[in-house]
Amino acid sequence: MQSFWAMLVANLKMSARNRAAFFWNIVFPAVFILIFPALFGSGIGGQPSVGITGADTPLRQQVVSALKDTGSFEIHEGSRDEELTALEKSDRSLVIVFPEGTLSDASPIQLLTGQSDSPSSKIAVASVRSALLDILGQPQGIAVTQQQVADLDTSFIDFFTPGVLAMSIMNAGMIGLATSFVAFRERGILRRIKVTPLPLWEFVLTRILAALVIVMLSCFALIVMARLVWGLNVRGNWLLITGVLALGGLSFLGIGYAIAAVSRNVETAAVFGNALSFPMLFLSGVFIPVSSMPDWLQPVAYVLPLRYLVDALRGPMMYGDGIGAVWVPLLVLVAIFLVGFGVAIRFFRWDAAAR
Amino acid sequence: MASPATTVSATSDPGAATPGGGPHPPIIEIRGLTKRYKDFIAVDGIDLEVRAGEIFGILGPNGAGKTTTLEMIEGLRTPDAGSITVAGLDAIARSEQVRKVIGVQLQSTSLFPYLSAAELVELFGHMYGTPNPKARVPDLLGLVGLEGKANARVEEMSGGQQQRLSIALALVNQPKVTFLDEPTTGLDPHARRSLWETILGVRDAGTTVVLTTHYMEEAEVLCDRIAIMDGGHVIACDTPAGLIRALGQEAAVSAFIEDREVRTENRDVAPPEEFAALAGVRAATLSGEHGGMRVRLQTADTQATLIGLLELARDRGLTLGDLSSTRATLEDVFIQRTGRTYVSEERSEDRGVRTEKRGRRRRRRT
Repeated sequence: MQSFWAMLVANLKMSARNRAAFFWNIVFPAVFILIFPALFGSGIGGQPSVGITGADTPLRQQVVSALKDTGSFEIHEGSRDEELTALEKSDRSLVIVFPEGTLSDASPIQLLTGQSDSPSSKIAVASVRSALLDILGQPQGIAVTQQQVADLDTSFIDFFTPGVLAMSIMNAGMIGLATSFVAFRERGILRRIKVTPLPLWEFVLTRILAALVIVMLSCFALIVMARLVWGLNVRGNWLLITGVLALGGLSFLGIGYAIAAVSRNVETAAVFGNALSFPMLFLSGVFIPVSSMPDWLQPVAYVLPLRYLVDALRGPMMYGDGIGAVWVPLLVLVAIFLVGFGVAIRFFRWDAAAR
Repeated sequence: MASPATTVSATSDPGAATPGGGPHPPIIEIRGLTKRYKDFIAVDGIDLEVRAGEIFGILGPNGAGKTTTLEMIEGLRTPDAGSITVAGLDAIARSEQVRKVIGVQLQSTSLFPYLSAAELVELFGHMYGTPNPKARVPDLLGLVGLEGKANARVEEMSGGQQQRLSIALALVNQPKVTFLDEPTTGLDPHARRSLWETILGVRDAGTTVVLTTHYMEEAEVLCDRIAIMDGGHVIACDTPAGLIRALGQEAAVSAFIEDREVRTENRDVAPPEEFAALAGVRAATLSGEHGGMRVRLQTADTQATLIGLLELARDRGLTLGDLSSTRATLEDVFIQRTGRTYVSEERSEDRGVRTEKRGRRRRRRT
């Protein structure tokens, strides 16, 4: 136990003092969190997204063309179910439902919003309302109704943050751990350990634990930052989210050890790590949902480990999913963890030179 | 092998066994040690004995098998044949036990990054299960002359300081034997000399030291006994004085002949046999050197050889430059045993290190 704790503390110090790791774990993802919502955040800037549904009356056509003419709204027309689902997922600021027949207080135009009172939805309601008043010339027959179906008021940051956390974990494992472990081998540190009574597993285990601690701290720091800067809303169970972060950390550390085992030197490890992680960054739903990718590209995402970590994090964080909704990606992460460490053990080398 | 119990006494009280006096029990015994690689035999059935309390040097050119030998004793490589006993333990079958009683400095610096000198010493103490390792930090850093560097990180240290720290780490567990693999390679002459003092201090504190080096001078100054290795064989093993005495030669005469003279009409007028035939000469070597040829004559009669050499030069019209006569050194031992001049990796600062084109294939590892 004496050597275990000393090694754990030493590994924590080494990880905490490594500036390159600090950059990849915190600074790089933090820049993403600061910049990307400002560029793409639908819930923060941009035009209110308005859903149009209900009876296809002349009044509806008149309103739609008038709203389009203002140029202030993003107009989507669809079935009632489609538009309500979009409202639940915060893809719409509000939904306008047109009644059958003539307009009256008994059968009004309904403006549906979510339960929340976010500034963006208030602004959208107010501006659509004034546009309708201009068209109709009267306030009668316009009803604002809050939709009782759970609206999550998810914003871009809610969608984006789980992806960035997954990216940070991936970088820590596939680049940070892989290159540092190969550097240890190159410098002869592994052989140095071999000539002491310390068993190698104790070194590897403490290194994994230290890396996990650093990864988790980085993730929580990023969550706090996203909350302070963009008002990130985390809906799920924190215990589950922490568990997913830890499991994700283990899986990608496993991939990192596998890369380290098959890499001849630090440069090779960096090439492997980057070559594998870079495509994953764009094809695993970090920036745009996998469902929004072109159909021919979507199957690719199924073989990318990062996609499963993104899914397992986004469900609980963005939609408040329980473990029952994410057990498939969690099982895949367990499998990745086992395969990663299996490869690492099979191809482990003490020595930089082939023997 | 014989009962290990008979050699256990070697482990007792190394502090009392000071070199130079009386018989010393062997702390390491090596018999028929062999390591083969695909294309060559790195170590070819060597026998060695290291005595408790001495500095034992393994000297040889690159590829001689020094590091391979050391790493087999340390348990980093598995021998193909032979036996190794360290402090009474079978070092091949029971290398886990041997690890606890030896200290090791590897050829690469092998220090964990981002940690300070004090943190590293303490960490290694814990790795060996030493009680309260923090308390030993000042002593160990003091022993290697790093008392002022306790809080310096590895990255902030010079190569020499890192080597010293590695030596401190090789002493953390109060080992019976500590192994230093080329501890001074890559250091400037000042740092090298100061490291010699450190190593002598380690021995005087009671730890047996086994080191490898390719520096002749270092082996001669630092080591109580030396094994000279070449091509996987131990070609000589004794005290430095004993090795030189066994040569039976008085001195080495050395002279430089400029290329211009060698190349023109006198080109084949100066074959080695002619030099070897001079009075008193026991061995003559000619080796190419920048701008000409170096003649090195081992002689039992300096005066007669010098007269002969000067007469030869006058008769042939050769101009001898850089003519000198020095007392015999370990280099002469190497020349006598191998018939080649000694070629070390670095040739600049060492006295007597030559450049010579060698036909021998360079080996991958030493």
